[in-house]
Amino acid sequence: MTMDDNKLTFDKITSDLTHHIRINKGFLIWMGFLTISLLICLYAYSLQLSKGLGVAGIRDYVTWGMYLANFVFFVAASLIGMLISAVLGLIGMKWLTPITRIAETIAVAFAAVAGLVIVSDMGRPERLAYVFLYGRPQSPILWDVTVITTYFVLSLLLLFLPLIADMAIIHRKVSTLPSWLKPVYKVLSLNFTDHPEQNKIINRAIRILLILLIPAALSIHTVTSWLFAVTSRAGWDSTIFGPYFVSGAFVAGSAAVIIAMFFFRKNYKLQDYLTDMHFNNMGKVLATVSLVYLYFNINEFLVPGYKLKRADAVHLHELFVGKDAILFWIVQIGGLILPILFMLFRRFRKPLPIMLISIAVLMAAWVKRYLIVVPTQEHPFLPIQHVPQNFVHYSPTLIETLISIAPFILVLIIITLISKFFPVIPLHETAREKGIEHIKFD
Amino acid sequence: MEDKNTPHAPNESETQKNSSRRDFLKNLGLAGVGVATGAAALYSGHIFEAKKDVSGDQKVLLTQDGKLVQVDSLEIKALEKTGVALHEVEGREGIPGRRWVMVTDLSKCRNARKCINVCQDAHQLRPEQYHMNTLQMQDTPATAPYNMPKNCQHCDNPPCVAVCPVDATYKRPDGVVLIDNERCIGCRFCMAACPYSARIFNWIEPKDAANYQGQDYNVELNVPQKVGTISKCLFSADRLREGKLPYCVEACPNGVYYFGDENEDAVTNGTTKETVRLSKLLRDNGGYQLMPELGTKPRVYYLPPKNRLFPFEEATDATPEKV
Amino acid sequence: MRFTKLLFIIFIFSFGTRLSAQTWVVPDDQKAITAPFKFTPEMQKQGEQIYLKNCQSCHGLPGKDNWVKLTPPPGDLAKEKAQIQTDGELFYRITAGKVPMPEFRNIIAEDDRWWLIAYIRSFNPKYIQPNPVAKAAFAGRTVTLAMEYSDPMKKIVVTATEQLKDGKTGPAASVEIMLFVKRYFGKMQVGDIKTTNTSGKAFFEFPADLPGNQEGYVDVSATVNDPKNAMKTTPAQANFAIGVPTLKPGLTETRAWWSTRGKAPVWILLTYTLSVIIVWGFILYIVYSILKIRKLSNG
Repeated sequence: MTMDDNKLTFDKITSDLTHHIRINKGFLIWMGFLTISLLICLYAYSLQLSKGLGVAGIRDYVTWGMYLANFVFFVAASLIGMLISAVLGLIGMKWLTPITRIAETIAVAFAAVAGLVIVSDMGRPERLAYVFLYGRPQSPILWDVTVITTYFVLSLLLLFLPLIADMAIIHRKVSTLPSWLKPVYKVLSLNFTDHPEQNKIINRAIRILLILLIPAALSIHTVTSWLFAVTSRAGWDSTIFGPYFVSGAFVAGSAAVIIAMFFFRKNYKLQDYLTDMHFNNMGKVLATVSLVYLYFNINEFLVPGYKLKRADAVHLHELFVGKDAILFWIVQIGGLILPILFMLFRRFRKPLPIMLISIAVLMAAWVKRYLIVVPTQEHPFLPIQHVPQNFVHYSPTLIETLISIAPFILVLIIITLISKFFPVIPLHETAREKGIEHIKFD
Repeated sequence: MEDKNTPHAPNESETQKNSSRRDFLKNLGLAGVGVATGAAALYSGHIFEAKKDVSGDQKVLLTQDGKLVQVDSLEIKALEKTGVALHEVEGREGIPGRRWVMVTDLSKCRNARKCINVCQDAHQLRPEQYHMNTLQMQDTPATAPYNMPKNCQHCDNPPCVAVCPVDATYKRPDGVVLIDNERCIGCRFCMAACPYSARIFNWIEPKDAANYQGQDYNVELNVPQKVGTISKCLFSADRLREGKLPYCVEACPNGVYYFGDENEDAVTNGTTKETVRLSKLLRDNGGYQLMPELGTKPRVYYLPPKNRLFPFEEATDATPEKV
Repeated sequence: MRFTKLLFIIFIFSFGTRLSAQTWVVPDDQKAITAPFKFTPEMQKQGEQIYLKNCQSCHGLPGKDNWVKLTPPPGDLAKEKAQIQTDGELFYRITAGKVPMPEFRNIIAEDDRWWLIAYIRSFNPKYIQPNPVAKAAFAGRTVTLAMEYSDPMKKIVVTATEQLKDGKTGPAASVEIMLFVKRYFGKMQVGDIKTTNTSGKAFFEFPADLPGNQEGYVDVSATVNDPKNAMKTTPAQANFAIGVPTLKPGLTETRAWWSTRGKAPVWILLTYTLSVIIVWGFILYIVYSILKIRKLSNG
C-alpha cells in the first residue's frame, strides 16, 4: 500500500464518518417534534408536581406502577454498553469496533435518563438530596443511586476517551464541520496530536474503565433487581432475580443497539461500515443472550410453580391463565421464544428482519418489566378490602402515561444529539484497523 | 442609643420586657437547629463587643415562617429545642424501658369499625386511608370466616425500616415503628416491602389540609399529614407518652384489644380496662402472630377466633369512593 | 295504643330470636334507689364529659340516634326505652354492666355515675327528679387494710382491721381482699380473692416471675372486694422488692439491616465506603490523566 492509497482511504473514511455532522432540515424537524412532545410530557409532570402522585393510577396496594417498570427498563437498556464494550471488547472481538460507540451512546443516554425516571416516581422529588444527606447504607436505594451515578460517569468517560482522537482529526481535517462546532471540538480534543504518551494514557484509561465497567454494570442491574428481591412478596422473593434481570437487560440492550445500528446505517449512509456481517453477528449475540434469559425464565417460573406455595400460586395463576395471561404469553412467546427460533436462521439476521425482531423484543422487554413490577402488588398476602375499586386494580392514567413517555423522548434526544454531532463510528480506531498506522496532525 | 460604657442592672419592667421578648422568640416555634445555630453564631460574634444588658445593637433575623424581626443582639440566644425539634428528638428516642405489645382477640371482633373511625379522626385520614383496617378473613374454604383487625405489626425485624433510604421510618427502642414525614422522600419502598400491607401513602393533599396549616408536626401522631409521604399506624405513640391506651384500643366497644408493656408482662383491655398477664393470656388462648414464618417478629399478637361472641356477618359498610 | 302494642310484640319477638338479647333484670331494691343529691346543670356538664369518654363510642350522642349497630343494640339514651327507667335502674346497669356493655363499677366513681345520669336526663324535658335520699347513716363495717411482705413465708400479708361498735379497733374477719400490682395502663390483679381469717389476715403468694422495676420493686395495692358497697374501706399500698428485676435493653441496640444509619452493620459500612472510594478513586485518576493529555501534545 502506498502512501497515497493510505491518504485516499483515510480521507474517504473521514468523509464517510463525518458527512452527517451538520444541521439539516430533517434534523430540525425531528428535534422540533421531540421537543414539542417533551414539553407536553413536562406539562403532565408539572401537574403531578402540584397535585401529588395521585394524578397517576398507582395507589396504596399497587404503589409502584409504570414509573418503576420504566426505571427497570431504562437501567436494563443501559447495560448493553458494558456487554459490548467491556465483555466482548476485552475478549478482543475486532468486528465490534464500529458498534462500540453506538452501544456507549445508548448506555449513557439510558443511564442518565434512568436517574430522572426514578425522580418522577418520588412523592417528594424536592427531597432528592436527602438520599445523599441521610443515606442509609443498608438500603438498596442508596446502592442503586450510587451505582447508577457511577455507571453513568464510567460510560460517559468511555464514550469520551475514544472521541478525543476523532475530534482532533476532525477539527483539523474536515472542512465541512460546522463553524460553531469547531471550537467545541478543539477544546474537547485536548490538544491531541497522536503523541505516543497521549495514546498510552488514553489506552490505559480505557482499559481501567472497561474493567471497572463490568462490576459497575452488574451492580446496577443486580441492585435494581434487589429493590424487589429483598422483599418477601410473591413473585419478587427470588434468589435468581439478579442474573434474571442482568440477562434480561442484555436482551433489551442488544435489541436497542440493533435498532440504532439500522437507523444510523440508513440515515447516515454507513453501509460500508455497518455491514450485513455486523447485523448477523449482533443477531447471534441477541439470540445467545435471549437463550440465557429463557433459561432464567424457566427457573423463575418452574420452580415456584412446582411448589405452588399459597401466595406464589395466586401470582402464577394470574400470570398464566388469569388477568395478566394475555400480556404474559405475548411477551414470553412473541418477545422471547419466537425471536430465538427466527434468529437461528441466517436470513432473519439480515438488517431489516433482525431490526424488526429487535423492535418486538424491545417492546416485549418493556412489558415484561411491567409484568414483573405490577401483578405482584395486586395480590399481597392479606386481602385488599374496604378500599375503592381503583386501589384493587391498577390502571395507568393519561398523565402517568405521558410522564412515562417523557424519558423515551429524552433518550431519543440524547442519542440524536450525540450521534448527530459526533461520528457514530470511531474514526481513529477504524482508520487504524484499516491499516493506517500514522495519522499526521498538522 | 444608650451610653455604651455605663453598665446598669435591668429594672423590673425591662426584665419583663426581656422575658416577653424571649417568649416571643420561643413562640415563633423555631425548629431550633437552623436558626439557633445562626443565632448562636451571631451571639458569640457580638458578645465581646457589648457586655451589657441592652447593646442597642439591633439584629434583623428571619423567623421560620419567613418574617423579618428586629431583635437586640443580646436577646439572641441559642434556643432550647421546642416544637417540632422536640418531637423529633422524643419521637426517635421513645419511652425508656418499655416494649409495647398489642393483643387482638379475634373471638370478640364483630367489625364494629369504631377503632378505624377514631383512628382516622385522630390521624387526619380519609375514609379509604387505614392505619387500622378490619379484614374479613377465611383461611380455607372449610373453615369459618372471621373478622381480623389489622394494623402495623411493629415488627422487631421490620422489613419496611430496612429498606428506607433516608432513615425516615425507624424503629424505636420501645418497639414502635414510626414515620417522619419531614424526612420521607416518598419512594414507597417500605410499602412494597411490608408483607402486611400496613402502610398508606398520601397520594393527594391530605384530608382537611387547610385546617392543619401552620400546626407543628408531631412525629408521634404523624399530623399534619403531608402529601407525597407515607403514613402508618403509630401505636398512638402520643397517647402512650401520656399513659393512655391507643385510640383504637380505647374505642373498641367489644373488648377486642389488649395493649401493654411486654417488659411488665401485662396488657390492659381497652374496653374493660382489665389488666392481665400477657404471657398467661397468650398461653391460655393460643396466641399467635401473623405470618411468623417471614421472620418479621411482630409486636402484635392475635388470639384465635374461637368461641366467637358474635356471628360473622358480611361487612355491609360502603366502599369508600374513588380517590 | 294498638301501635304500641304492636311495638311491644315486636320487641318481645326480637327478644326471643336474638340469642344474646336476653332480658336484663334489675333487682327491685336497686330500682328504687335514687340519687343522693339534686342534679344541677354543673353536674350535667361534668356528666357530659364522662359520657363522651366512656359511653359515646357505643351509644352515640343522645338524641342523634347514631349509636353503633351492635347486638344487642345499645340504643339512644335520649329515647323512651332508656328514659322510662328509674334512676336506680340506670345506675344499676351502668354499675354492673352486662356483656358486651362493660361493668363501670371500678371505672367510673359512684358520684360520677350519678352525674352521668344527670346528663342523660337532661335530654328528657318530662323528667322530674325524685327527691334525693341522702345516704342513711352508715351502718356497715369500716375496714382499713395494711400490708407487709413476710420474708420467711415469702408471702404478702394483708391485715384488715375494723372499727368495732365500742369505738375500738379489732381484726376484721371474713373480708374479701383483692391484691393488685401496678402496671403502665392500670392495676393488674394478682392471684384470686382471699378472705381474711379470724385474726384479720389474708396471705397472698406473689408470683415469682412477675417483672418489677430495675431493682425488682413493684407497687402493690390491696383493696376490699365489696361489690355491694356495704363497707367503708381504706385500701393499702406498698412498694416491695419482690418482682423480677427487669432492665431489658431497648430494641434498637443491635446493628441490623433495619437499624438507623448510625447503627448500620460495620461490614456494610466498610464495604459500601470502600467500594465507593476505590471506584471513584479510579475515576478521579482517569479524569486527572485526561487533563494531562493536554500538556503532552507534539510541539
